[in-house]
Amino acid sequence: MKPFQDAEHLPSRGTWDPSQLPRQRKGKTPQMHGRYPDYDVLAEVDHWDDVTRKLVVGRVENVPPYRFFGEREVPTLEAFCDCLTAQDDEPRIPVLAYVDEKLFENDGDGYQYFDMPTDQETWRTVARGLDDEAAKLGRDSFAVLVAHEQHEVVHRFDQGELYGGAWATFNVSRAWSIVVRYVCEAFYAHPWAWNEIGFGGPAYPRGYAAFGSPQLGEEEHWEAKEAVDVDAMQDTQRKGLD
Amino acid sequence: MLKTGSFAMPEANDSPFLLDMHERGLQNLDRMARYDEKETVDLLVIGAGAGGVTLAQRLARKGWRIVILEKGPLWDPDRDWVSDEKGAGPIYWTDNRIIGGTDPIQMGKNNSGVGVGGSMTHFAGYVPRFHPSDFEVRSRDGVAVDWPISYWDLKASFERVERELPVAGQRWPWGDPHDYPHKPHPIAGAAAKAWQGAKDCGIEMRVGPVSITNGVFGNRPHCIYRGFCLQGCKVNAKASPLITHLPDAIEHGVEVRADSMAIRVELDDASGRVSGVTYVHDGQEHFQPADAVAVCGYAIETPRLLLNSTSRRFPHGLANNSDQVGRYVMVQGATQVAARFPELMRMYKAPPPEVSSEQFYETDESRGFARGFSIQTVSPLPIAWAEHVTAEGHWGLALREYMRDWNHWTVLGVLCELMPQPENRVTLADQKDQFGMPVASFSHSLCDNDKANIAYATKVMQEIWSGAEAQDTLKIDRYAHLVGGCRMGSTPEESVVDSSHRAWDVPNLFVVDGSVLPTEGAANPALVIMALADRFATLLEEKNVA
Ligand SMILES: Cc1cc2nc3c(=O)[nH]c(=O)nc-3n(C[C@H](O)[C@H](O)[C@H](O)COP(=O)(O)OP(=O)(O)OC[C@H]3O[C@@H](n4cnc5c(N)ncnc54)[C@H](O)[C@@H]3O)c2cc1C
Ligand code: SF4
Repeated sequence: MKPFQDAEHLPSRGTWDPSQLPRQRKGKTPQMHGRYPDYDVLAEVDHWDDVTRKLVVGRVENVPPYRFFGEREVPTLEAFCDCLTAQDDEPRIPVLAYVDEKLFENDGDGYQYFDMPTDQETWRTVARGLDDEAAKLGRDSFAVLVAHEQHEVVHRFDQGELYGGAWATFNVSRAWSIVVRYVCEAFYAHPWAWNEIGFGGPAYPRGYAAFGSPQLGEEEHWEAKEAVDVDAMQDTQRKGLD
Repeated sequence: MLKTGSFAMPEANDSPFLLDMHERGLQNLDRMARYDEKETVDLLVIGAGAGGVTLAQRLARKGWRIVILEKGPLWDPDRDWVSDEKGAGPIYWTDNRIIGGTDPIQMGKNNSGVGVGGSMTHFAGYVPRFHPSDFEVRSRDGVAVDWPISYWDLKASFERVERELPVAGQRWPWGDPHDYPHKPHPIAGAAAKAWQGAKDCGIEMRVGPVSITNGVFGNRPHCIYRGFCLQGCKVNAKASPLITHLPDAIEHGVEVRADSMAIRVELDDASGRVSGVTYVHDGQEHFQPADAVAVCGYAIETPRLLLNSTSRRFPHGLANNSDQVGRYVMVQGATQVAARFPELMRMYKAPPPEVSSEQFYETDESRGFARGFSIQTVSPLPIAWAEHVTAEGHWGLALREYMRDWNHWTVLGVLCELMPQPENRVTLADQKDQFGMPVASFSHSLCDNDKANIAYATKVMQEIWSGAEAQDTLKIDRYAHLVGGCRMGSTPEESVVDSSHRAWDVPNLFVVDGSVLPTEGAANPALVIMALADRFATLLEEKNVA
């Protein structure tokens, strides 16, 4: 069986260590690991329509500057976003920069829970709350906590078990769902993440002729091929790519 | 004009021929009528969506002079839409709404569109009919209310609209059995998996019904199976009123006034008739006089606009003297269960709507609740897939790993019929929007029948996936399809409009959109909304609306 055909690597079965994944050989993925080591969605840009290409390429090349978050909030929330998305190394998708842009431009999602402030206020309060937790550990900012301490705080946030101070001003579980939504949207809108998960990306005007059935053909020639072996070194040598 | 197409081309709608094969934007805008603001038009329609545009197209052909006010832009799919999940933001209604109740409903991309074409520009494309039973659930099942009309009043309208979209699918065995004008689309491996799993549990599925061309249809191209239906179809293969009805409406003298937000329907207190609508365009207030007004703004905005239109006769909002405006707003329970398989599914290919089943649609007393649900394939793109993963509490390394695994997954969703409840309602909040209008507040809570239905439907999906030998599953509880809020009924005490969509107490005010639905069925609502607009137009023989 191919390594990814069985489901033993899924988090529901235990923890999965991404250092065992193939290293990316083409294009970029966050932290340069993924399932599709020879796939770069950005190599397909010539097949995209102009409007989409401008938007998606612009997303990668013109990372928005911080305009919403202040000097103190940025390192705290960058560390928080890294923790949520397990980005412990370069290259990183600059998640917080896109979150900042969305909040600055007031480009909300169209709803506000009756027991929550605006999304802007929610994010600022979360930043304050995270630093409050750091203060309880005698440190100045969430950003300077060590990895396992950050994890512990984020875990309690996920469980809705943060109390007092900033956290007392809103519904902590809802705050979690709001920040997680912003972070996932920023991360999975980024082509580096598409490389990691093998997404075909924009598909106009090319479309698909082979969409995954024996009659229609399984895949297009340019689509991501899943690694046949988790050991990229061996795979590289076997294919004579070195 | 040369009219090529399948055997069942629509009769009184030239829209597919008024489009261009190679450019997606409307081709006849230079011929669009422009009415002066001092001129009293025959009908002012608020909202260029499923109900509003269909209605305008029908009446324009009978000689009515019509203006449609639409809050959002007049889209040109070539210029304005992208093949990108996040980049589709502008087609969602994202102005703020307050949500509450014990089961608050997320808005925005989940259920509301903006701009010419309405929510159908980003709807998935499933267009099943309601069943005959949907119109008489009180008589049959002792719950909710009966409609003041029956399935048979709408049957001819369903058929007409199905030819215009056009609908592709297999012969439909459920409800009132029927055929579709276009043959079923080929299905992807992911949908085939669901089909097989269902079959192994004794559940029948059918391909479709989807409003996606499958063959020549005027100048609308064939679907290219690119999978971005919910982000706006850049191909003009998936139906929305922007391409299915507006081109013909413009040809017959309809003006669509985009970027125009209606903020008040004005009433002449002396006569008790509405005189026109105040709206905001480019930051300026305007007034358009009209002989009649049809509000077609969708389940949240229609009640909001009426509640904001107060007068001496209607101090609590227009047509609201029985306190019915904004009540009985419904969503369908739309839980989804994703399943993992050894082979690659690549859900991003082919349209998300592929195969569905209505085997559980009707009441079955042995299940312990009234009414039922339908089952449909869906296929979340990466950002939506992250919602599935985080819904089960994963973040960090686990989130990344489930995301990397995406191509091995396929997803089924249900649409559970939830009950209309008076306290599930839209009211006006203290907060104001950029037009100075109070934002809508929507409170939503499930009742016991709703919970039992959702739990049962979820179990059926789990069974289908274990039948297909899935290696793992992920579940997300969610809701889809807003309807109700200005329901149609038989008495003024218990409804907002009568069976001909006319507001009780206001002779020249109509509501023609999803908000008139007294119950929601377990079918997706766009087709029944268009069919209601079609039927309403046939009721209005002459321009005389009084
Ligand atoms: C993501 C998604 C998927 C869906 N999938 C399906 C599906 O597969 N099948 C299905 O049948 N249905 C589906 N739907 C639902 C379907 O699109 C709607 O039920 C249908 O479009 C509602 O029709 P309507 O006429 O009531 O309103 P809409 O089509 O929403 O039109 C209302 C219009 O009025 C405008 N408007 C509102 N207030 C004002 C105002 N005050 N002034 C000016 N303009 C105003 C709005 O901007 C909008 O354009 C889906 C919806 C979404 C969002
Ligand atoms: S899959 Fe077909 S209908 Fe859907 S967006 Fe693509 S071309 Fe349009």
